[in-house]
Amino acid sequence: MIEFRDVTFVHQTGKTALRDVNLKVEKAEMLAVVGENGAGKTTLVKHVNGLLKPTKGTVLVDGEDTTTKSTAELSRKVGIAFQNPDHQLFSESVEAETTFAMKNFGFSRELIDQRLNWALQFFGLEEYRNSSPLALSGGEKKRLTLACILAWDPEVVILDEPTVGQDAIQKEKLSGIIKMLRSTGKTTIIVSHDVEFIWPLQPRLVVMSQGRVVADGPADTLMRDEGLLEGARVMQPQLVELYQRLRRRPDSPFASVNDARLWITGPVVS
Amino acid sequence: MGIATLPDIQRWKGLGSSMGEILRVQNLSFRYPEAAKFAVRDFELTIKGGEIVILAGPSGCGKSTLLRAVNGLIPHMYTGEYLGSVSVGDHKVSEARMSELAQTVGLLFQNPENQIFMFSVERDIAFGLENLAVPPDEMRTRVDEAMRQLGITDLAQRAPHELSDGQKQRVALAGVIVMRPRLIILDEPTSLLDPKTAVELVELVRRLRDETGITFLIVEHRLELLVRIADRLVVMSEGRKVLDGGPEGVLADESAAAYGISIPPISRLRNQLKRDGLPLENGFGPDDLAEELNMEALGR
Amino acid sequence: MYWVAGGFIFRRVNSPFHSLDPRVKLLISAELFVVSLTAYSVTQLAVVMAVMLSIAAVSKILKRVGRTLIFSAGFSVFIFVINLFASHSLLTSAVYSVRFLAIIISTSLFFITTSPDELEQVMKSAHLPRDVVFAFTTAVRFIPVLMLDAIQIVDAQKSRGLEVEKGNLIRRVRKMVPVLIPLVVNSVIRSGELAEAMESRAYGAVSRPTSLQRYSSTKRDKLVAAGSLILFIITVYIYVRFPTPL
Repeated sequence: MIEFRDVTFVHQTGKTALRDVNLKVEKAEMLAVVGENGAGKTTLVKHVNGLLKPTKGTVLVDGEDTTTKSTAELSRKVGIAFQNPDHQLFSESVEAETTFAMKNFGFSRELIDQRLNWALQFFGLEEYRNSSPLALSGGEKKRLTLACILAWDPEVVILDEPTVGQDAIQKEKLSGIIKMLRSTGKTTIIVSHDVEFIWPLQPRLVVMSQGRVVADGPADTLMRDEGLLEGARVMQPQLVELYQRLRRRPDSPFASVNDARLWITGPVVS
Repeated sequence: MGIATLPDIQRWKGLGSSMGEILRVQNLSFRYPEAAKFAVRDFELTIKGGEIVILAGPSGCGKSTLLRAVNGLIPHMYTGEYLGSVSVGDHKVSEARMSELAQTVGLLFQNPENQIFMFSVERDIAFGLENLAVPPDEMRTRVDEAMRQLGITDLAQRAPHELSDGQKQRVALAGVIVMRPRLIILDEPTSLLDPKTAVELVELVRRLRDETGITFLIVEHRLELLVRIADRLVVMSEGRKVLDGGPEGVLADESAAAYGISIPPISRLRNQLKRDGLPLENGFGPDDLAEELNMEALGR
Repeated sequence: MYWVAGGFIFRRVNSPFHSLDPRVKLLISAELFVVSLTAYSVTQLAVVMAVMLSIAAVSKILKRVGRTLIFSAGFSVFIFVINLFASHSLLTSAVYSVRFLAIIISTSLFFITTSPDELEQVMKSAHLPRDVVFAFTTAVRFIPVLMLDAIQIVDAQKSRGLEVEKGNLIRRVRKMVPVLIPLVVNSVIRSGELAEAMESRAYGAVSRPTSLQRYSSTKRDKLVAAGSLILFIITVYIYVRFPTPL
């Protein structure tokens, strides 16, 4: 579905943000891209909808080279939810805001209404249909931006740091939405440095550091590699850390980590 | 000369831990004009000098309002229905002037970008001192001291847009600490940082408290990073204080999760194991828990 | 965009001109501006341009000034053509168009070599009200931030299908709404946060704040200023006393 072939990207300032990136994402896969701020995560995903074009190498979406299409065209299939809702809300009403993209893509009147109703209902924004988006609370704005993206039902959904500034309840809801996306067969990419949020989702993990992909594999496996995480300045989920500590001593309780759960058995459990 | 004398510095350093209460919030209630509900209701909080207190609570619980009531923006910049009282140091917040309060309590806002006004780091750090008409020589000393404390001396001449988020935050914090406040409030300081940088900030706060005795009140969602340095954890919900105590105790409290705060996974595991009958002490971090579990296993 | 960036945004450079007291730089720029404006013959303009370009060379900013020249060339040609229709004289038109370039360069010289800090210093020594100076310097400080905001907003809206290139003029103007509104809203939010931060750091506590940096002019500054004044007076005298043919 998405392919990066030897992609290098250099900013106008001369800084190399991506180096020799090779990555393939299949349809309906769920991917989490982790790494410290500045590692190139956001730069990477901006290539998927053509906001950035590679300096070297090729990016293919559904078989097509991104340099042959505009961002607006690619966005029909690839939806990116950026971090800051205040960078995109502008309409007089929540309804107008949610239908903005669909109108740009030329959807039919019926389809727009249908998707609008679904989106408002799913995200619990029906009561605000005619309110100004700018009057909503922070959490509601974040939901609205997601609603705007999912309204046009892109095949690929990319979330850029979705948990920043979110409290526990909001993160729960977000987790639910991501699971829903997975179950409906969407290709999902989450860019995040919040490992505690990522880990229970058990995604395929891509670790980035200084513009390179330094690891690519199941979250379960990679999260146990302390050296890897140290080098990329990524934190280990607490339970994985506990598991590692317990495993160090031969007489310690038997512990295993599976499916994002920590199993402790043996002498300790009564 | 205008250079701060040694006794001054010593006195300032000792202020936090040797004095008693730094902050006393009594029965505070505040309602914004046009608002139907009170944002903060009957809030009580006492903080002693040198403490590091974490304030947690779901979005919209009134944390931002409370912070502004402590540093004086409420009621001096934002008016509304104000009941109860807040005292910081020797000042009653509703009566003192902002310029007096600025030297007692500092507030580091969430987005460091919007707190840096000047074109160079050192000039911005001096901003508050310039506003108080501090003599240039003393300003120089204090600015250098603040930069040293925050580890940003080499950034003195840089322009803000050249800095990383973590660096901007240190600059903003330097601009607050240079005023020599007794209490510093941090509003979600780690929200824009990646976890490693966040840990560095947290350690920096602890070091500052140890070196200067300044009291810290930190509002945070990401408890797993902050509880390691906290003396107390206060939970807020719908404008009221609902929990207040040592962090281990609060996180172990059964009602904590119901209030919508993020309980760190290790703490959740601890609570679970305790419910299953394991005699665990309170504590944090995977290291502690592993130790205890290992000891348990050996003991049997 | 690049024209502005090249010709008017300050960048730190070590040169004898850069290190002059900003008030002297302003004086020199103003003198060059007046001299360019009142020049009426090609020879005069050539001399003025030569002077300015040598200053630029000495200040190591020749490349940027050159770029500004190139970007202003378009408008300059436009002026040339307009004047050609009006006066039917090649020479007069040439003078007008080159004069335009000279004026641009004279102002550009000041802004490229003067940091925002120095700009502030100049404004303070002109005894402008404190709030005005502060509003100005804060605005300048946030220019790069606003530019970044604008880019991020455009990115977000493009990702929702906004096609910025297509459409006739009216369509294109309408398309600016999804970019302008968030930009304005963000600026308003930002101003609110700035105000809170200002209050919290005692802005306005005293009527005469002190300053971390002290500025004073050196002997060199005074000499250069005096020298330029003398040259200026001589030039004006020559213009008036010896009107040269075109």
